[in-house]
Amino acid sequence: MTTLLFIIFAGLAIGSAIAMVSQSNPLYSAISLIGVFISLASIYVTLAAPFIAAVQVIVYAGAIMVLVIFVIMLLNVEHSAPRRRRLKFLLPMSIGMAGILLAETAFILYSVQTAENRLPGNISNVGLTHSIGEGLFTSYLLPFEVTSILLLMAIVGAMSLARRTTILSSTARVVPGAQVLAMDIVNPRAVGDMRPVETETTHEAAHLLGVDFQSDRNQED
Amino acid sequence: MDWNNQYIHSVVLIVAITIAFLTIMLLVAATVLAERRVLAFIQGRLGPNRVGYGGVLQPFADFIKTMMKEDLVPDQSTRFVFLLAPMIAIITAIMAIVVYPFGPTITLPFLGTFPLRIAQFDVALLYVLGVTSVGVYGIALAGWSSNNKYSLMGGLRSSAQMISYELALGLSLIGVILLSGTLDIYQIVEQQSGWYGLQWNILYQPLGFILYLIAAIAETNRVPFDLPEAETELVAGFHTEYSSIKFLLFFNAEYINMITVSMLATTLFLGGWNGPGVAQFPLLGVVYFFAKILFFLFLYIWLRGTLPRFRFDQLMNFGWKFLLPAAILNIVLTATVLFLMDWLRR
Repeated sequence: MTTLLFIIFAGLAIGSAIAMVSQSNPLYSAISLIGVFISLASIYVTLAAPFIAAVQVIVYAGAIMVLVIFVIMLLNVEHSAPRRRRLKFLLPMSIGMAGILLAETAFILYSVQTAENRLPGNISNVGLTHSIGEGLFTSYLLPFEVTSILLLMAIVGAMSLARRTTILSSTARVVPGAQVLAMDIVNPRAVGDMRPVETETTHEAAHLLGVDFQSDRNQED
Repeated sequence: MDWNNQYIHSVVLIVAITIAFLTIMLLVAATVLAERRVLAFIQGRLGPNRVGYGGVLQPFADFIKTMMKEDLVPDQSTRFVFLLAPMIAIITAIMAIVVYPFGPTITLPFLGTFPLRIAQFDVALLYVLGVTSVGVYGIALAGWSSNNKYSLMGGLRSSAQMISYELALGLSLIGVILLSGTLDIYQIVEQQSGWYGLQWNILYQPLGFILYLIAAIAETNRVPFDLPEAETELVAGFHTEYSSIKFLLFFNAEYINMITVSMLATTLFLGGWNGPGVAQFPLLGVVYFFAKILFFLFLYIWLRGTLPRFRFDQLMNFGWKFLLPAAILNIVLTATVLFLMDWLRR
């Protein structure tokens, strides 16, 4: 029974992986990748590691891939014709990498397995919640905390890269007269702040927005 | 009868799944009807009361009517994804029901003793969260594949909203996990029995309960968090282009999600099937379980009749700046109290 399940889910995983690489539509690739993650989670369940399976689905299939699909939907990537190949050295390099991977697999299959056959069996508690929690907070506490700080640094870095200093383009213009602006237009740091900022004159609005009103009118004349 | 026999076990499982499925579907029909009647009552109308006694057969009439409609697939839509999206929505919605215990272990004459649940495994709670998080794809892909601006906006809104509130939802449950020390829902319910209801987790996790309830309503895209389908701005949002049986699948998925979320609230905070007299008459537990679910479903309808919709920036601010910090505070408080109690006992 376990072997049958393994064959089914391993086949699904490999099929989805091939589909992911071969699809030209990025959204189909993303859906195939979700298929890979879910098949892998099913294999974890048959390996008596339910916690890892659940986390695999929640983190990879549930959180990360939603963000990927979100980005694909937002960018609305068109179904484009195959482009000219750049970076031609990648092709021989990928063949070399695949060769190394195959060699590693062969090494594991032929030397490690013959050395000592230690199957975890049903008594294994490697994938259970209790043992993982205990490991994370005792023997692996330092790597765990270092990883979390690393992730935090990555988030801060992404934020500082993505945050724009100004929202308005250099060609933005001000409508003549008094106007009401939202706070997040005036001040880019107040993201999502919709409180109104009222201005009395055109000059005041132009000054608030950092748009040169005078030169703008000259262009109109 | 030998319940450990593999074949008998399989047959029992299939029967149990069928019963659970039919129960949930009937509950969906009842909820749809109740929603229309209760909303009508709140707004001073009568609501549908012509089909059957008091309108009892109205959901079935609606079901047949909707199924008979033409099954439209919009031109220029991504056909495969368009077909896939409602399937993902309904499958993930139904999958989550598997782990809930409908009642305590009961003994029936001639049949023997068996627990009123379909599946039992260590990480049931994580399983529910995982299945719920996959459910986002149904809505997101539906919005994208329809090739419709309104649908795309609805899909984007819903994925943003569900990612944001999933965090608060998961974190609000950690207090209960800390208290009970297990992820198995059946054990969590059993731990809440006794002391005449004074061991229900809601008494020890009031903040966690409120946070969970808010996050759960947002997670199921219901009023006041129904921005993905906001009728007035988005023309029903992600399912604008869906008709006939595909629309029904989305419709059912939404109500099944409401039911599963209510089941989770019941089992984790309100003691599941616990109630007076369950120790003597175990079948009474099923009644209590469904009564508690019906309370939450009524709450949903009540909120819909009462509250206006959030604006999108309010929704995001509320989720990230209030719910998430409050959920983390709840975890810290719970952990501190547990640690101190453990320390005092020594």
